[in-house]
Amino acid sequence: MLNRRTVMAGLSAALMTPRATQAATVNDAAGRAVPIPQHVARVFPAGPPAAILLYTLAPDLLIGWPRPNRAEECEYMLPDICTRPEVGRITGRGNTANLEVVLALKPDLILDVGAIAPTFVSLASRVQEQTGIPYALLDGRFDAIVPTYRTLGALTHRSAAAESLAQYAEDIMTTIRQRIAAVPVGQQPKVYYARGPRGLETGLAGSINVETIEFMGVRNVASEQPGGLALVSIEQVLLWNPDVIITIDRDFAAGVRDNPLWNSVNAVRDGRVHLSPKLPFGWVDFPPSVNRLIGLWWLAKIIYPEIFPEDLRTLTRDFYTRFYHRTPTEAQIEHVLAGRG
Amino acid sequence: MCLPGGADLFMSRSAALGFAVALTVLIIGLLIAFTVGRYPIALSDLFSVLLDKLSGRPSAVPPIVENVIWQVRGPRVVAAALVGAALAVAGTAFQGLFRNPLVSPDILGASSGAALGAVLGIFFSLGVFAIQSLAFVGGLLAVAAVYLIGSAVRSRDPVLVLVLTGVVIGALLGAGVGLVKYLADPYNQLPAMTFWLLGSLAATTLSDLLPLFGPVAAGTLVLIALRWRMNVMSLPDEEARALGVPTGPLRIVIVAAATLVTSASVATAGIIGWVGLVVPHMARSLVGPDFARLIPAAALLGGGFLLVIDTVARTGAAIEIPLGILTAVVGTPFFIWLLTSVSRTWS
Amino acid sequence: MKLAGRGLSIGYSDRLVGRDLDVALETGEVLALLGPNGSGKTTLLKTLLGLLAPKAGDVQLDGRTLNNYSSRDRARLIAYVPQSHQATFAFTVETVVLMGRIAHGNLFSRPTAADRAVAARSLERFGIAHLRERPYTMISGGERQLALLARALAQEPQFIVLDEPTASLDFGNQGKVMREIRSLAASGHGVLFTTHDPNHAMRAADRAYLLRDGARVAEGAVGAVLNREQLMMLYDAPVEKITDPTVGASAFLPG
Repeated sequence: MLNRRTVMAGLSAALMTPRATQAATVNDAAGRAVPIPQHVARVFPAGPPAAILLYTLAPDLLIGWPRPNRAEECEYMLPDICTRPEVGRITGRGNTANLEVVLALKPDLILDVGAIAPTFVSLASRVQEQTGIPYALLDGRFDAIVPTYRTLGALTHRSAAAESLAQYAEDIMTTIRQRIAAVPVGQQPKVYYARGPRGLETGLAGSINVETIEFMGVRNVASEQPGGLALVSIEQVLLWNPDVIITIDRDFAAGVRDNPLWNSVNAVRDGRVHLSPKLPFGWVDFPPSVNRLIGLWWLAKIIYPEIFPEDLRTLTRDFYTRFYHRTPTEAQIEHVLAGRG
Repeated sequence: MCLPGGADLFMSRSAALGFAVALTVLIIGLLIAFTVGRYPIALSDLFSVLLDKLSGRPSAVPPIVENVIWQVRGPRVVAAALVGAALAVAGTAFQGLFRNPLVSPDILGASSGAALGAVLGIFFSLGVFAIQSLAFVGGLLAVAAVYLIGSAVRSRDPVLVLVLTGVVIGALLGAGVGLVKYLADPYNQLPAMTFWLLGSLAATTLSDLLPLFGPVAAGTLVLIALRWRMNVMSLPDEEARALGVPTGPLRIVIVAAATLVTSASVATAGIIGWVGLVVPHMARSLVGPDFARLIPAAALLGGGFLLVIDTVARTGAAIEIPLGILTAVVGTPFFIWLLTSVSRTWS
Repeated sequence: MKLAGRGLSIGYSDRLVGRDLDVALETGEVLALLGPNGSGKTTLLKTLLGLLAPKAGDVQLDGRTLNNYSSRDRARLIAYVPQSHQATFAFTVETVVLMGRIAHGNLFSRPTAADRAVAARSLERFGIAHLRERPYTMISGGERQLALLARALAQEPQFIVLDEPTASLDFGNQGKVMREIRSLAASGHGVLFTTHDPNHAMRAADRAYLLRDGARVAEGAVGAVLNREQLMMLYDAPVEKITDPTVGASAFLPG
């Protein structure tokens, strides 16, 4: 007899069944149970860190890039993947992707790598509800690289490749950490991170911009208070008198020696002002993704030159081959290390 | 009271007192600004460095202290005094010209134009000098556009038309700034734009002072020279013309001079609001509403005011507090008090 | 000296207010301009002041076209007394009167001792010297009108043109201002004023010019022109005239 109860029972059975067969989920960094798609061929990166992470693990799955890559950058990556189209970003700072466009691209998975603040968690859930596409939010913090790779491997059915990259990252971090631990307390140099054309923007304690620098166990001179980015006065820098200055701005690095404001700073006097390489992606600071791993070696060598005798060129070639899937030439490595681009 | 040369410096006792107060504020501001700072410098060091420079003797203080005084703090202090004076004088002139004690130097869109120039410079990753130049030119072009459009509209009240056009163009330029920020790289360019827009004198060098000093001196001198005509310019247009003042050309000159100083200030220091709005009122309460006294008093007071604010900005914490925020925090309560107090300075 | 408008067509950029008007004023005489609201009195006034360009015809001042004078030179010959208004800034009365001296200096000049003397005399003349240091915004309407009169006089002009000088004045002050107008003419100035009140024209003016819908209705000596019939035609309303036989004075009342 068809009464309401039977109809309801039948309907719920029908609805439950597809879920029962797709029961495989994995917890993303926000603790959300993200369903693993059975077949993953296309992944949409919600922002630059996600795009880079995905490119290193499974470049063929990348639908496109949040912002188009420049020609100089593509020389270090797989050419056909590097030139995939611009698809905009969904989350983080600034939303330029239209959800309908995202749907039209038919991704099997949306990947977001970054901060796990409630804002982004709710955005993830909303987009997943609206589009029906699994949305995974993974931790973009530097010390979460290993679990992040593992989760991504599970989501994309590339666990083996993910494990090897995770292991490589683990090895770098462990090696560096161990050697740094041997440095007596008090002998860590004072480091100032200079951003902006005048070099007066810096990252405060715990800011994602100086994550890898602080990983080195140095004293970030701007760490008196926690926060993100801040502007400081040159007087304050003179007072701090850092031993090492790391910068990403080429004009600043070129002009700092002759700048009367800066040349009484220890770092400038001793010639320890270092311009970070940035091809194809920055080695320090941004985008805040796995591209910073090779930056760890670079930082280690400039901060503690005595305890890190490794050849940076070899390390660079190795890293680029594994992570960017393309072996750079000697000339290209020189170009990168000189901070060009 | 007569001065040599036949000039008549007639001033009531209270106005003379008011001037003395304004001058004292400036001097105290300078002293505080030079001696207070993240890098500890004693008053005695300051004086000995100055004396040594004047007498040509080699200095006894450590070179780093000398460096801080001449290269770091000196330029910044001079810039703060100049920008403060410039914005105060421009605000005073505009309050008279637009017959409204509630206008600020931004009313014709100079700040919005400068902001658009600067964020475009940051967007295209240009050098610091290029960014400042774009800001300066942006401010001038914005006001020129407002003036051209405003004069094309025939009206019995040319001043009202200017204000309305300024509001509209300012809004348009503000939308432009928003668009550039939207398209900017969020990791690198956007923070730079945000910091610039909030206003700061953090990186003032000696070489910044010359491009700042030129336009500010020129514009301020023009406005000071014209101060005896400013009272009349605050009357309705027909009345002023009937008194013998060529209001059309004079208005252009005043707007040009005020825009010159505003654009140069914004190009150097970013957007600093409230100085041009609040300092004229403070000056009015000291020396009275006569523009002939108000303009020089505003210059002195504005310089002192911004000096004190900038000192707080760079010593309040290890990181810089943006000037625009400090002036708002100080200016808003003062202005509310002004609006609600019974004896308003203007009527 | 003579201020004369010949064949004037007056108006604004979008509309014509009056046409083919001839007005003349000599120094030493008082001319009253009467007419209903919207007749074009104020427009005519501003055209004669040189504040509004005539659409046709011209205004001659001392034989030269008004257009050819710079604002400064013109201000030394003609002074304008607008209706007393609420000012934005609280200048002192002395500062207000000193503004009248601007036409005698150049662009950057400050008031000289001579300027201050003229201003002081002007204040004395109108009996408001005791208000010198008071803010303009804190004196009464009548006192403000006198201050504006003092400012006009400080220009040391030949002609003084007043726009509705008694509007918003109390009864006592109205009489006072009218007496001042007569004394200004007595001291050699040519005075032109607009008014709504024919009685003021009777008492203070030598001649009257009646304007309606931008056209001249009548012109001539007040005694001749200001009568019941003319006024009724001018205002298109009943008018009463009462005469006091003992004094011989008469007044007009709205009917």
